[in-house]
Amino acid sequence: MAALIAARGLTKTYRLGQVDVPALRGVDTTVDAGEFVAIVGPSGSGKSTLMHILGCLDTATAGSYHLDGEDVSRFAGKRLAQVRNRKVGFVFQTFNLMPRLNVEENVALPLKYRGGVPRSERRERARALLERLGLSHRIGHRPDELSGGERQRVAIARALVGSPAILMADEPTGNLDSHAGAEVLATIEELHRDGHTIVMVTHDADVAARAQRTIHIADGRVVA
Amino acid sequence: MTIYESVLAGLEEVRRHLGQTLLSLLGLILGTGSIVTVLALFGGQGELTQQFIEEVGGVGTIIVSDRDEALRPTARELASKRLTYRDAAFLKARARSLLAVSPGWARNLAYRVADVSFEGQVIGTVPDYAFINDIRPLVGRYLSDLDLRQRARVTVLGWAYADSLFGTAPRALHQLVSIGDRSFRVVGVMEREEFYFAAWSGNALAYRNRRAYIPITTAQTLFSPDDRLSFLTLKARPEHGAAAAETEVTSLLFARHGVEDFDIRASGQRGSEDQQFFLLFNFIFLVVGVVSLFTGGIVIANIMLASVVERVREFGTRMALGATAGGIFTHVLAEVVVVTILGGVLGLALGTALTGTVAHFMQMPAVVTPVIAGSAIVTAAVVGLLAGIYPALRAARLSPVEALRYG
Ligand SMILES: Nc1ncnc2c1ncn2[C@@H]1O[C@H](COP(=O)(O)OP(=O)(O)OP(=O)(O)O)[C@@H](O)[C@H]1O
Ligand SMILES: [Mg+2]
Repeated sequence: MAALIAARGLTKTYRLGQVDVPALRGVDTTVDAGEFVAIVGPSGSGKSTLMHILGCLDTATAGSYHLDGEDVSRFAGKRLAQVRNRKVGFVFQTFNLMPRLNVEENVALPLKYRGGVPRSERRERARALLERLGLSHRIGHRPDELSGGERQRVAIARALVGSPAILMADEPTGNLDSHAGAEVLATIEELHRDGHTIVMVTHDADVAARAQRTIHIADGRVVA
Repeated sequence: MTIYESVLAGLEEVRRHLGQTLLSLLGLILGTGSIVTVLALFGGQGELTQQFIEEVGGVGTIIVSDRDEALRPTARELASKRLTYRDAAFLKARARSLLAVSPGWARNLAYRVADVSFEGQVIGTVPDYAFINDIRPLVGRYLSDLDLRQRARVTVLGWAYADSLFGTAPRALHQLVSIGDRSFRVVGVMEREEFYFAAWSGNALAYRNRRAYIPITTAQTLFSPDDRLSFLTLKARPEHGAAAAETEVTSLLFARHGVEDFDIRASGQRGSEDQQFFLLFNFIFLVVGVVSLFTGGIVIANIMLASVVERVREFGTRMALGATAGGIFTHVLAEVVVVTILGGVLGLALGTALTGTVAHFMQMPAVVTPVIAGSAIVTAAVVGLLAGIYPALRAARLSPVEALRYG
């Protein structure tokens, strides 16, 4: 079967005034549907940059990128926003929940941006996911009333609510204590068992060991 | 899509920093407040002006007055016979848009009864003058056609003159009064006429109480070498309208005179000092309002810009979840507009209070109508739209990565 992610020769160069800062120097990678992949490497090696490009938050300076059969490296603006909304579920190190919205509203947000999903369906899907992640009792709470682990699991629910092709997490346990981190990791593993495709950035070897496969990055290149 | 959420966000923002929000809205509140007050006062004055026009004869009353002679008249101007009694007869016969025509002759003459004497206005005119101007005698009668035919030495006194010459108005009836050294019998005294635009402005119709009416034929026989007039008072037929009547009269008179040596205007137009004072007063309020709105808008734009910078991570996250640049733009704009509409509502409350106060202390009618209230809210919303454009553009131009990396 075709790979879900197929990237060839991805380069990303940041321009700081007169100086070019290369963050990625030609990355080739593929991820198949149902895989659980960890991206590891030292700080500043380009892990986040790669994940942002794979998650369509950013575009590469050069190279080609096919996501779920579409050549998204040619997309921009509204179409890219659509791909982010439908194909990718993003989980951030700092949770990034909307402080003014309650848990259910936070989770339903991507469906709002999708448009055309009736309110009742948005609610239902958000509630179903929250129940699955064991957060039913938190539905009406504000993010600041939750523990770190709970917040990250709400964020995972939000990432999954739109049934994306792939779940991407950038250091999802980076801001959590070991107990909460283990909890979140267990959730991610469970999702993988249920058939979700997961790409996770981490620089913790123990965390990376839980993945099926590891992509090592150093200085903007895949080294193993 | 997310308008509801934007509104919610706007309200939440207001709730969380209530004091700060009110402070930032101060300019907007003052601005809409002032504008509401100006509009309410203008509305009240407009209503008064309508009433005044009714009072001085109603819509359709037209006054043609003799224009002052030029310092160095042209040959054409010299050739004109000016406004005459015959013009009045001519208009009466020819102007189809007119219901009534009354010639007017005005002069200042000496009044005397026993040892009371003063100089004052005398109007020589016809019975229709009372009909056109909708004025009635308090006692006795107005001038009659018979008076005119007989060139009778009779007079109808204005209320104030009857009062000052004879003590009380009714007592003047049937008495003799000397006007311009000729003896006239008082056949009537007019009702006292009054109209107040504001308590401080005085009786706008006081001049009508200080005059006497005599038959125009008598006036021209006794006091005039010719049949020239000072003015014509005309009444347009309702089915033609005042504008059509003005046009017809202008062209008829121009054809007769060969030159435009007369002025024509609708009755009830005010040009008095209190009107100017009122305009100045409103102008000040309006300037305060516009300046406040302007500065208020700038303050709001600034605060919103700071809020956008503070919330780059939020906007980045929204974009990561699928929000488009357009969606973010609308979101920020809606948030600003919600806040400014709140300011508009507060401004409306302030303006209503201010209107009540001004109306009370200056004794002027003024009402905040639904239209005015609506304009206030719309103004506030427009200020929000304008103030929000730049911050909203800034937010929409963020790239999701940049926004997420921040902080
Ligand atoms: N907006 C930017 N402008 C300039 N340089 C950038 C920008 N974003 C990233 N970089 C640079 O690109 C390189 C890769 O950054 P990236 O964030 O991908 O590293 P990382 O592997 O995620 O590091 P960490 O483990 O610390 O999160 C770094 O040298 C970084 O300084
Ligand atoms: Mg990183």
